[in-house]
Amino acid sequence: MAAETKLFGKLKTAEQEHEDPKEQLMFDPRPREELNRMVMEMMTTTTKKFWLWAIGLGVGVVVLLFGAWGYMISTGMWVTGLRRPIFWGVFIVTFVFWIGISHAGTFVSAILRVFKAEFRRPFTRAAELMTTFGLAAGALYPLIHLGRVWVFYFMIPYPNARWLWVNFRSPLVWDLLAITTYLLSSTIYLYLPLVPDLAMARDRTTGIRHSAYKILALGWRGTEAEWFRLRKAIQIFAFAIIPVMFSVHTIVAWDFAVSQVAGWHSTIFGPYFIIGAILSGVSAVVTILYILRSTLKHMDYFLRPEHFDALGKLILVFSMAWAYFFFNDYLLGWYGGEAAVRQILTLHATGPAAWVWYLMLICNMAVPWLTLWNRKIRRTPWLMFIITLTINVGMFAERYTIVPLTLGHQRTPFDWGVYTPQPVEISIVLGTFCLFTFLYLITSRLIPMVPVWEVQEGQVAHTLRKIGKAEVPTVTELD
Amino acid sequence: MYTKVVHMALFKEEELDHAAESITRLRLLGVQDKDISVISGIPFSEKILDRPMSWTNVGRIGIAGAVLGFIASLLFNFGTPFLYPLRVADMPIFFPIPTSIVVTFELTMLGLLISTFIGVFVETISPSFGPNGYHPKVSDGHIAVLFSGPILLDQQFHTTFEELGATLEHDVEEEKLWL
Repeated sequence: MAAETKLFGKLKTAEQEHEDPKEQLMFDPRPREELNRMVMEMMTTTTKKFWLWAIGLGVGVVVLLFGAWGYMISTGMWVTGLRRPIFWGVFIVTFVFWIGISHAGTFVSAILRVFKAEFRRPFTRAAELMTTFGLAAGALYPLIHLGRVWVFYFMIPYPNARWLWVNFRSPLVWDLLAITTYLLSSTIYLYLPLVPDLAMARDRTTGIRHSAYKILALGWRGTEAEWFRLRKAIQIFAFAIIPVMFSVHTIVAWDFAVSQVAGWHSTIFGPYFIIGAILSGVSAVVTILYILRSTLKHMDYFLRPEHFDALGKLILVFSMAWAYFFFNDYLLGWYGGEAAVRQILTLHATGPAAWVWYLMLICNMAVPWLTLWNRKIRRTPWLMFIITLTINVGMFAERYTIVPLTLGHQRTPFDWGVYTPQPVEISIVLGTFCLFTFLYLITSRLIPMVPVWEVQEGQVAHTLRKIGKAEVPTVTELD
Repeated sequence: MYTKVVHMALFKEEELDHAAESITRLRLLGVQDKDISVISGIPFSEKILDRPMSWTNVGRIGIAGAVLGFIASLLFNFGTPFLYPLRVADMPIFFPIPTSIVVTFELTMLGLLISTFIGVFVETISPSFGPNGYHPKVSDGHIAVLFSGPILLDQQFHTTFEELGATLEHDVEEEKLWL
């Protein structure tokens, strides 16, 4: 008699509990020709709805982002809600948010690649693309926040008539270096594994697309030397980009932590920010994957409940880790005895903006902890979409709590203040969301969104092996 | 002296074993490893195909870039404070440690990663040795064994590859795949 387990009062046999391996992408192989056809159809199928979205988002970028930014430049920063004592507002909040999102690609692609997590294969590119566009959106904020954006070149180190040199001891300069390094390296990291797929697209297109893919594929044929070189380069990148990723968000945290501002001056801010970034990044990957699965042709073959399940487990772990770091930072601040810090912590929980603080806790802890332990929920894509969207709302609230809500209650009570984001700031924030979505939408029709060769490699490596009476999934290392 | 012609044997994706076997048989027919090249839609290790190890300088180029990045960071960290002394609070001007570690790390990694890519780029566009040729079926999962051998052995090549179920093409022209 088959073993039975009890779940929610229903009896399930062992056969029912274990899914059919064929439900997993790696055990449901299709000929490469068909995989290529499916991916090419994804790229070339555009509906009226697609163009409406593309035009709408494009208009959003022009009006909400560049229009509002232009207006702010022409009138001055007084149109924002930035007033003494709060000079860092929603621009910095969104900057941290986007930089956090950008950790998804590296985490999902590089770390899972290093640890050979097989479930990563179909969505590494979607995650890497998030990194590049998240960084592009985030990198705009220091420029926007400058106000006088035309003096940006002051940050670039070159001998000049001003007789001033960039101060390399400033975290803001570290930020510039770290973001530049990360943006360049993550773009290359996106491009390298794309080359064989661009060659595949080159072989199946004509006209201007063919010419573009021909240039971008660098004459790829798939020789042993080319594969060896590519594997070597991807390996170097996968290992090297991980510390870069850690450094980027640590430096973002140091923008705050190296100051003497009460509530910011914390040694744990670096790792606390990194965990938060990974939590929001991986959550954003799930959100994007759901949208891709629902909108792109054939994507439901590549993205399956198993992928949402695996990412859901990661999110649960990172949510717990985030809670640990949050509590660590909170407890020591509270116990430290500095009146200003204790006052800030009390105001976060009981002040007029306490709803932001509770929203953060509910979205980042209560929601994932109450839902993601359940396999059925993790395997339901639309539920995962809602949960991950909620987590990112929580992460935005976290950054909002850290930035303007903390700055408003510093050591001198006569200098306390309240920050209210003004329409121009909200418009610019919405504009960068439009920019990110617009870039993603357009790119989804220009490059293969699924790394076909990686999927096929995985399908070749996975087999069912008979052990005793059972067929057990096994993986072979082809390299 | 005899004329060498580039041949291409195309195997279906599930016939990897036959492709590996064909390389052994080509060796028995006197074709040297340097005259054989395998192209495929997914990476297979040299051991799987019983081929000599490939080599690349990408790693070395990457390290050279990291060294350059490191030197650049030293110039920024230690050279520029001498040229443009700027006192910030009580921080020493001429001894910018530990703050310089951040700049050193970022520039070293930037050098490593960019030069790794440059290495890949330069090696990819450089002329390659061994038989050239391409077939779009390769990106459809086929495995192509390219080899150059004397025309005199044509009949034997045919027999060998027919036995192994491959399609054989002669005198493969090098298609221009890039600029």
